[in-house]
Amino acid sequence: MLPTSLAVVLATAAMTLVPVLVLAWGWRRGFFRDLDAQSRVIFEPRDWRVERPWESPAERLTREVAYGAPLAPRPGEWGGAEGGGER
Amino acid sequence: MSSPLTPPPEAPLRTGALADAEIDAVAAARGLAPEDVAIRARADASSRRTVLALYALAIVWLLIGTIFGDLASFKLHWPDLLTQQAWLTFGRVRTAHLHAVNYGWASLALIGTCLWLLPRLVHTELQGARFATFGATLWAIGVAIGAVAVLAGYNDGMEWLEAPRYMAGPFLVVGGGLLGLSMFRTAAARRAEHLYVSVWYILGAFIWFPMLYVVGKWPTLSGVESAAANWFFAHNVLGFWLTAMSVGLAYYFIPKVLGRPIYSYALSVVGFWSLAMFYSLNGMHHLVGGPLPTWMITTSIVASIFMFIPVVATGINLHMTVVGRFGALRYSPTLRFVVLGAVAYTAVSLQGSFTALREVNRITHFTHWTVAHSHVGGYAFVSFLAFGAIYYVVPRLVGHEWPSARLIRWHFGLVLAGITLYIASLTWAGVAQGLALLDPQLPFQVSVERTLPGLYGRSLGGVLLTLGHLVFAYHFWIMVRRPAAWRARPPFHEVQPILYTAEAEAASRPSAREVGAA
Repeated sequence: MLPTSLAVVLATAAMTLVPVLVLAWGWRRGFFRDLDAQSRVIFEPRDWRVERPWESPAERLTREVAYGAPLAPRPGEWGGAEGGGER
Repeated sequence: MSSPLTPPPEAPLRTGALADAEIDAVAAARGLAPEDVAIRARADASSRRTVLALYALAIVWLLIGTIFGDLASFKLHWPDLLTQQAWLTFGRVRTAHLHAVNYGWASLALIGTCLWLLPRLVHTELQGARFATFGATLWAIGVAIGAVAVLAGYNDGMEWLEAPRYMAGPFLVVGGGLLGLSMFRTAAARRAEHLYVSVWYILGAFIWFPMLYVVGKWPTLSGVESAAANWFFAHNVLGFWLTAMSVGLAYYFIPKVLGRPIYSYALSVVGFWSLAMFYSLNGMHHLVGGPLPTWMITTSIVASIFMFIPVVATGINLHMTVVGRFGALRYSPTLRFVVLGAVAYTAVSLQGSFTALREVNRITHFTHWTVAHSHVGGYAFVSFLAFGAIYYVVPRLVGHEWPSARLIRWHFGLVLAGITLYIASLTWAGVAQGLALLDPQLPFQVSVERTLPGLYGRSLGGVLLTLGHLVFAYHFWIMVRRPAAWRARPPFHEVQPILYTAEAEAASRPSAREVGAA
């Protein structure tokens, strides 16, 4: 019964157990410390300040207070066309 | 104090395509350290050529795969269509379609985006860019050889692995290996202190895919063993290759466009590791009722239900990040595609878990339901993510925005309508077919006739998708071949950063009335 699918059973076991070991290794190495900082690693100062047209005035003000004067979005900023917002 | 996460000593950064004076000016204007600007600019520049080439190849394969998909769909309700040439028979064009869209379109588009994203995430340049370019070339050659071989009748007879192992296999293995080498060298040379969750997904995909491919293509397997290896690969290639890269990209693009961190970063970590631990057990649920040991099937069904953990963790996380900001979808085509793709990820995963249950599977197995299900995953999830990524990345590669908002809207509308019709038609047809097959009073022919409306709906959906892809391909073509006169606007800020002058910043500030209202 087992040899019928030995390759799959072994590969599955390896693919299940290896992540457990990698997780333990990463934990000890400190890869999961300071998750809040990790969540912000994709942002640059400009990202916080760019004015987003869908945000309410209150949200814009919150950004300005926290990060400084807003910056205008550049053409194609959101992956679209015609000046940052689709028309 | 040195910590395990301390990045390696920095290599000199002040060489490359961008002039030092330009970097200094941008950094001064934006209040940033020149090194930060230089890292980011060079990270983007380092992968530019390779990523553009991969996108172009991916779109070519998207068109080829779509044509074969349409033809295969037409043949199901017009069985006499193009039957005189062997290479145009259903068994070959349907297989060529699967091969082209999986290894050509989806894989190349996602690999390209990962090559662009990884250097950004780890704050360094793409290492071994030549390896990556050569690897991408070999991969593309392998895809082409595989497609030609399948059309010529050479086929390994395993779903998702039809391309002959001794023709296309070496190109895919060596090409993928070189791409992975470049990825891992880039990760090893990181300057970022933290690894963002997308890095785990991207690197995981490049570890998992070779393991899956080796097991799936192991030459000595045959019979039942081969069936088990086949579905071990075919199911896991979606979860560990396409899904891994796509979810990794969703975790980047959604917060990046919205300008707010992911709702719960801890949940994203739970989602990744639970996917890594549970997903590999899932594939055998495709063989419910097959000649495999019962414990294997049952384990697979249980693991499929376990998939609720990563799926719900990821779905809640992405949804809660967007909630309250759905207005952004009106402005950002990237977000529109990526958010819908993320919704499809949740839908296809939950649907898959339910389909694994024996009571559901006895109706849906061997029906069009499975084809609809795979298109929720392969198209509504993976392809939408790839479209969204391309809309975001290409302006940053070529230095100007997309030429036409109208073409983007047409593309989105056509593919959304097409895939909705496709999935709805085939899901309905699959249930009707399954119920008819289970009814011993009905002749087999009835189960075929009952699917016909669904098959016509599928073909119509396929035609809409084709039109959407033509619009997308044309738009990409004029984007990268844009005449010089169209480039009058300043280059896009993230390729060659634009100076933010005091006047521009002052002009972008909210008015006193807006602030007062707030």
